[in-house]
Amino acid sequence: MNAIDTAIRAAASAIMLDKVSKSYDGTTEVIPPLDAELRAGEFTVVLGPSGCGKSTLMQMIAGLERVSGGTISFGTRQVQDLEPKQRGCAMVFQNYALYPHMSVFDNIAYSLKVAGMPKPERVERVEAVAKMLGLFDLLARKPGQLSGGQRQRVAIGRAIVREPGVLLFDEPLSNLDAQLRHDMRMELAELHRRIGATTVFVTHDQVEAMTLADRILILNKGRIEQFDTPKTIYHQPASVFVAKFIGAPPMNIVPVTGNGKVLRLADGQVMAECPVFGAYQLGIRPEDILLGGGPIKANLRYREDLGSHTILAADLGGNVLRIATPFGADIGTEAHLSLTFPPARLHLFDAETGRVVPGAFSQ
Amino acid sequence: MVENARSLNFVAGTVLFLGMLYILGPLYLTLTTATQSYEFMLRNGLVWYPGDQFFSNVIRIFSETRIPQQMANSLVVAVSDAIVTCVLSFLSAYALVFFPVRWGSVVFALILATIMLPLDIRVITTYQVASNILSPINALLDITGLNSLIANVFGAPVMLEWSVLNTHFGLIAPLVAHGTGTFLFRQFFLVLPRDLVKAARMDGAGPIRFLFDILLPLSRPSFAALFVLTFLGGWTQYLWPLVASSTPNMQTAVVGLARLAPDMEGVMPDFPLIMAGAVVVSIIPLVMIAVLQRYLVRGLVLSEK
Repeated sequence: MNAIDTAIRAAASAIMLDKVSKSYDGTTEVIPPLDAELRAGEFTVVLGPSGCGKSTLMQMIAGLERVSGGTISFGTRQVQDLEPKQRGCAMVFQNYALYPHMSVFDNIAYSLKVAGMPKPERVERVEAVAKMLGLFDLLARKPGQLSGGQRQRVAIGRAIVREPGVLLFDEPLSNLDAQLRHDMRMELAELHRRIGATTVFVTHDQVEAMTLADRILILNKGRIEQFDTPKTIYHQPASVFVAKFIGAPPMNIVPVTGNGKVLRLADGQVMAECPVFGAYQLGIRPEDILLGGGPIKANLRYREDLGSHTILAADLGGNVLRIATPFGADIGTEAHLSLTFPPARLHLFDAETGRVVPGAFSQ
Repeated sequence: MVENARSLNFVAGTVLFLGMLYILGPLYLTLTTATQSYEFMLRNGLVWYPGDQFFSNVIRIFSETRIPQQMANSLVVAVSDAIVTCVLSFLSAYALVFFPVRWGSVVFALILATIMLPLDIRVITTYQVASNILSPINALLDITGLNSLIANVFGAPVMLEWSVLNTHFGLIAPLVAHGTGTFLFRQFFLVLPRDLVKAARMDGAGPIRFLFDILLPLSRPSFAALFVLTFLGGWTQYLWPLVASSTPNMQTAVVGLARLAPDMEGVMPDFPLIMAGAVVVSIIPLVMIAVLQRYLVRGLVLSEK
């Protein structure tokens, strides 16, 4: 561990969002008042479909957008009215946004130069960061002479050289190819373990969210759908939106009606026992469905063999049901499937609000 | 398809060759004429082969005409025009692209209007203003009725007068008011990644630092291209210098060249002298293009990333 690591770990501060809201024209709210606490040193991924307000939220934290209401605090400091440079946060951009006419060294050193740091100290800092990121031999090059992954690393170096209390990433991996994205994910996870900066990472890629995050904040139309660990989000989604957004293929959702004893599909087929009345949505993950000899009947429509597992698409009373079977499972060639939905793996959501009904299958 | 392409190449080559003849022919004739003596031309007319009087003609240009003084004027006009245009265009494009300017699109439309209404069309009104650049203030005083009030109190209305005709400033200022450069820089700024501004802000750079540290170095090719184009435009201006300068000492080289031909009828102009002058006057723009031509192309393609 060198000086930079310790300095960043020491600077890491919690982020408190208190009724933060954003509206561009004063009437339509891009982000309605929103509360969240991002703990110091934690890696938080903000996940959501495009247009959900996640980039706006990040730019408000960074200070590139003004908040329309509410307060943002880093640690005990209120920062919502400060300029980005006064907030002590740094950002990595989607398309790197390196200065094309400056060398790697000058790119990384620019913020220190603007801050008026004396040259010898600057050189020392930049070299320490460059060594940490494996950029030491590239310091004299221009960004145009670097590969995508190297540019990404320069962008990260530029961010961490200031020893920021908060490190922000705006979809930093979306410009890379699949292999490089995987490698950079590993590097980012490792980097975070080393420097322990409070990190906010915006993405629409659920794999990045699941692999990198300590906690995931799922945004939908500016509102927080769920803010929890990846494991909880996957196994206990708080809403239909989260259930459908996470997982590949996503959770199956079918509309059901309860009569106080059982849940039935529209065509009358019984799905599960549950003492509720009225309209609900029933969810089950594709890999939780058991094949063979169960009470639930469905017609096979299509199958995709992916090698490691097979995905079946079946028709369940007019709904598409996706089933993931483990490799080698004998599913035969039958068009009629008999399925079992294990009650412990079922999720019940309110038909109107889409929120989960807790403890519906706990008996 | 190969035969087809070949015949197409042949036709294209022929057209190109004819076009070159059309353009280079008069230029060649300029050169050969510049090398003959006045007497030789009077006897033989314009000829297609070179003579041996080029240097004596050039020496006469420097000793008998005001072309050297006028080239200095041209240089002052062209260089000032180029520099001031670059600075103004760069700053106005910076304001229009990177700041939320109220009525920004109206301002930009007005700037573009200068491209559609070039100086040659506005020459009479521009002359009026240049002959008294305070005349708008006079007009304002007249319209508002302030002048009749002043006339009542002091006995005479205010008539401010300041003519910039026959000055370098008067030659340059109307040329500078031209929107091409603003348009060029605006298009260049628009293709820069938007995140660059945000990255600079995150690094703590304010608008001025961003301008000098990031935007200015990136705009170098655009600057060079605009500088060359404006310089050439200023150097070859004819109409405005003709009307804005009345004494030979203030005229530019291109105007001076035209004046070398005598106004009297029946006198054969000294074409060898005039052509030698044309060659001398062309040297500076030629050198300019030779030195800066690679920037010219790079700055205009707008793909500098």
